Amino acid sequence: MPLHNANLTCWNCPAVDLAGKVDFRACGQSTNSKDIGSGCSNSDSYIMAECKRRPELGLFDPMSITFKECPQYKETPYGYLLKDMRVLILGLDGYLGWSLALHLGALGCQISGIDNYNRRDWVMERGAHSILPIARMTERLQAAEEALGITINFRKMDLLDRQNLKEFLDEIKPEAIVHYAECPSAPYSMIDVDHAVTVQQNNVIGTLGLLFLLRDICPQTTLLKLGTMGEYGTPLTGRPLFEGMFPADAVLQWRGREWSMGGELTPRDPSSFYHVSKVQDTFNIYEACKYWWLRSYDIMQGVIFGIHTAQTQTDPRLNTRFDIDEWFGTVVNRFVAQAVAGIPLTLYGSGEQKRGFIALEDSLQCMTRLICAPPELGEYAVVNQMSGYYTLRDLAETVARIAQKEFKLPVKIQRVENPRVEADRHPFEPIFERLQNDFSFTPSITLDNAIFQMLDILLSPEMKSRIVQKQHLIIPKTWWSGVKKKVESIEILEPSKMSNKNIPSNE
Amino acid sequence: MNNGNSIRLTDSNFHDEVLKSDIPVLVDFWASWCTPCKMSEPILEEISHDYSGKVKVSRINVDQNPDTSMKYSIMGLPTYIVFHLGNEVERRVGAQSKKQLYQMVNHLL
Repeated sequence: MPLHNANLTCWNCPAVDLAGKVDFRACGQSTNSKDIGSGCSNSDSYIMAECKRRPELGLFDPMSITFKECPQYKETPYGYLLKDMRVLILGLDGYLGWSLALHLGALGCQISGIDNYNRRDWVMERGAHSILPIARMTERLQAAEEALGITINFRKMDLLDRQNLKEFLDEIKPEAIVHYAECPSAPYSMIDVDHAVTVQQNNVIGTLGLLFLLRDICPQTTLLKLGTMGEYGTPLTGRPLFEGMFPADAVLQWRGREWSMGGELTPRDPSSFYHVSKVQDTFNIYEACKYWWLRSYDIMQGVIFGIHTAQTQTDPRLNTRFDIDEWFGTVVNRFVAQAVAGIPLTLYGSGEQKRGFIALEDSLQCMTRLICAPPELGEYAVVNQMSGYYTLRDLAETVARIAQKEFKLPVKIQRVENPRVEADRHPFEPIFERLQNDFSFTPSITLDNAIFQMLDILLSPEMKSRIVQKQHLIIPKTWWSGVKKKVESIEILEPSKMSNKNIPSNE
Repeated sequence: MNNGNSIRLTDSNFHDEVLKSDIPVLVDFWASWCTPCKMSEPILEEISHDYSGKVKVSRINVDQNPDTSMKYSIMGLPTYIVFHLGNEVERRVGAQSKKQLYQMVNHLL
């Protein structure tokens, strides 16, 4: 069985510069001729490739060499990967950024990264802390060297500082850029006007500036931008949530006529100012790919859960962060913390909201597979990055079941008023086929195993104490309406009333 | 792209593969920055499979093959043209539904 990216060619490779006749235009726009090449006669009429890693090849047909054939690629469990690939991670200090840096570093990638420590500051501003203590960046970098032999070229830098970022991009010439440098919190964006502006300024303007820098400095690089499944909303018609665009056999029928919707962006229905920022990014990236032939994966990730990866667990100084507060803790991680603290797991409203989920290590697997197989030139591609979907109530019951059965913890579930403006009973049919079909992704972590591992680690006296110190920050206080009050309890579900069923098998 | 059964056309093989073909040829003029073009790949593969031996399904990247694109005045993408015995017999511009693409092919059979 050939690897998923064996037949990709230099047309997909970020190590290749284009020469020759390159003509940026829109659908329906007449052709122009613009020679950006070196003046070679071959480049007068055709697009040619010029490999930065193998200049001895001169100008050649970009479809003539496959990844499998190219000596610059090596075989890995994730596909053919450029040797010593230069990967820049924006937001390297975060939950995902730090984990991915170590994961890719272990595969031999040359890792660079920036972070302005906003996440640390935002969590501190809310009075919370990471339950797993995380080391200062200098200590993290030293530990990565000592424990794993991974060197990371890190700069403290704000994504909005375009001048310094330009110089850094120019210095490292990244072959892939993973963009995690956004505020990832819906409730944080809904605290008040200042927080909403901060989130949109950081996310939207940061990404827009980055796109211009890519155009000017490294247009061949792959941009892997983290979006969210939340961009789509939860349409009450039950319409499937396609992977960014309608498939070609989706049609619009109206007054007896029909049109293909294939390739058009599907409707977005964000549910917070944070989600709006992600939707705005989607459109900005879509346009930039079209105007300048940038290549990008816009990654609609489900809600993430997990505490450790193969690399982070090798040394306490390599811990990635683990948040449980209402603003930055993701739902499974919050439930596990509540089970450890002996307080009820909180469901908002009915608790019947359905969401897509993915484990931390599976998320890293997906990102690596995507890095191995860049989009074609100018291609804006979307993947729905999740491994299954559940109601929040099913998740709470799963955490409760494992906590009771495996750790003898008495666990209750509590329904509280829903501070958000969202449907809490809705159909949900996400399509998440592309990563599995086109990139050979197979989920490796089961929800049960991840919950077991989290409980096991967080029940240590030190971790439990750090949870108890901040348990008051788990119950939500941020109302979408702007009202300032704590949510009231609606109902406590006793363990006896909880179903004993296993999680529905949609993984 | 073109990992399936459909034929990858270029400026140099267009004449032999399309204009000299004994059977009708459906040509998809596409570009990698065109999202409707990308999304139509599975349908074209289906047609190629369903009409194997009766209709040739092929794709040509307009950016990499400017001569053919200019010759046939391709502007909107995707553009689908059916050729038969060296002549253009039908052209549609913009994304087409599965039904519409099958109609284009069925006209000739």
